[in-house]
Amino acid sequence: MSVIAPNFKLSGFIKSLLDNIFWILLIFVLAGLPAVFMILLLIDLPIIDGELLTPFLALSYLVNPTRLIPVIHAFLTTDIFRVIAFPGFGFAALLAASVIFVERKMMAKLQLRVGPFYCGKVEGILQLMGDGLKLISKEIIIPAKADKPIFWAAPVLFVATAAAFVALIPVAPGWVVADIDLGLLAFFAVIGFFPIITILSAWSANSKYPFIGGIRALFQMVSFEIPLILSLLGVVMLTGTLNLSEITESQSNFPWIVFLPIGAIVFFITMLAELERIPFDLPEAESEIVAGWLTELSGMLYGLVQLGSYLKLYAFAALFVVLFLGGWNGPMIVPAFPEQIITEGIEMGPITLTLDGLESLLSNTITQEMLNGTLWFVLKTAGVIFFIILPRGVFPRVRVDILLDLGWSKLIGLCFINIFIALGLLYSGVLGPGGLQ
Amino acid sequence: MFAFGIAAMAPALVISRMISPRKRSNPVKFLPMECGQVPSGEGRTHFMMQYYPYILMFVVFDVMAIFLYAWGSALLELPKSATLPIMGFLAIMFGAMAFALYQSGRRRIW
Repeated sequence: MSVIAPNFKLSGFIKSLLDNIFWILLIFVLAGLPAVFMILLLIDLPIIDGELLTPFLALSYLVNPTRLIPVIHAFLTTDIFRVIAFPGFGFAALLAASVIFVERKMMAKLQLRVGPFYCGKVEGILQLMGDGLKLISKEIIIPAKADKPIFWAAPVLFVATAAAFVALIPVAPGWVVADIDLGLLAFFAVIGFFPIITILSAWSANSKYPFIGGIRALFQMVSFEIPLILSLLGVVMLTGTLNLSEITESQSNFPWIVFLPIGAIVFFITMLAELERIPFDLPEAESEIVAGWLTELSGMLYGLVQLGSYLKLYAFAALFVVLFLGGWNGPMIVPAFPEQIITEGIEMGPITLTLDGLESLLSNTITQEMLNGTLWFVLKTAGVIFFIILPRGVFPRVRVDILLDLGWSKLIGLCFINIFIALGLLYSGVLGPGGLQ
Repeated sequence: MFAFGIAAMAPALVISRMISPRKRSNPVKFLPMECGQVPSGEGRTHFMMQYYPYILMFVVFDVMAIFLYAWGSALLELPKSATLPIMGFLAIMFGAMAFALYQSGRRRIW
């Protein structure tokens, strides 16, 4: 047990808290409230159930749950909800956080340790929150000769790029933030940003270890991008589309991993390299070059990079599921909603609460298919993530030249074999028009 | 989503800056990390990029790999005879890659 910092004064801490609250309230009253009213004057408020949504109506919705349901329904279909909560940032961040916890516990079990144990009574379940609080309350130290704007911006850009990657993933039928026709090309474009951000962060730190780590990251990510791109060509040839939702729909009978196992294996290996996971964690090799390109990052900057890298891990695993394991497709295991709740309402004690808009909500937005698809998607993604973090307890780190030789000679050869398998399946009539599909 | 990522993460840095201690500044604190030693020389030194040919190869083959997507996504509509030129393209790509890999293996010319 360590003591709290010796100069810590509770009165000083409370004073700083009160100071912050005072300034926040003052700024909110002087600038925030006028801004809210200006925005309310300027924007067109939505019409819900034939009524214009005024602030007074919105307040009256709060006390009457029956009138609130159309508002919730309207909110669930907006883009803002998609970006912030469900297929977007909130969902991905939640999964990423649980991945961090599961990884720490699993590594501990593999190495005969206990792992996080004390924080939060039950198996250290609040450890992550404690770590987050620790990181956010630590001082950010920037090296004296660093390029400060880039050094501050790089972690934020890292998280934002990972978030842009998450936006491309279709989680359930129709539930995707950016449903673009060239989804796969957009994915390659987003992937191309990660080495740039890494080398920017490494260069701006003006220190030797981050620089070496950044160079290694550049080599590794750039050379594994070609096998990554080529290994997905087989799927595109068999489906004839680059849209990720359509690729998922094409796998309703069987996943592509059945026919293109080589492509799936190559994609998995390149995925490990792009994520800097253990057989290929040269850019942050902690036993050679302190922490690689993360050496000079401290406090919340480091926390942001960690968040970004786990968002990226989730997005890659989800992309593997979408391309090779059939995405949301799976047997229907979610039970149908009880008729009574939809038509009559919920019985709570002496009263029966009748919810009018519930029927359209449950049959249009939160459907049985959506819940089932999400469940299958999350189960498959969890399985892929398990196989991504498993090598960390098993394999040693490879050398740079072995890594580059693997990427350039062997994986690219396997990619070409995969392309010819796909071409053979198509031209022999097994798949494609007239074939199984 | 990219914009939301920036908008959501920048406050984390601002809050961190607000609640974290910033005391007792001294020159040693802001030196670059070199495992406890006093750093010698510049941070951005000349660094031997031994595997430079791979970066050169990337510039060429990334573009060629993307060209294949234009063919792959339209393959179901194309007649079978349209595959022959692509086979030729793949052969050129494969030969060029083999040559480049051979040259990159000759370390002493780099």
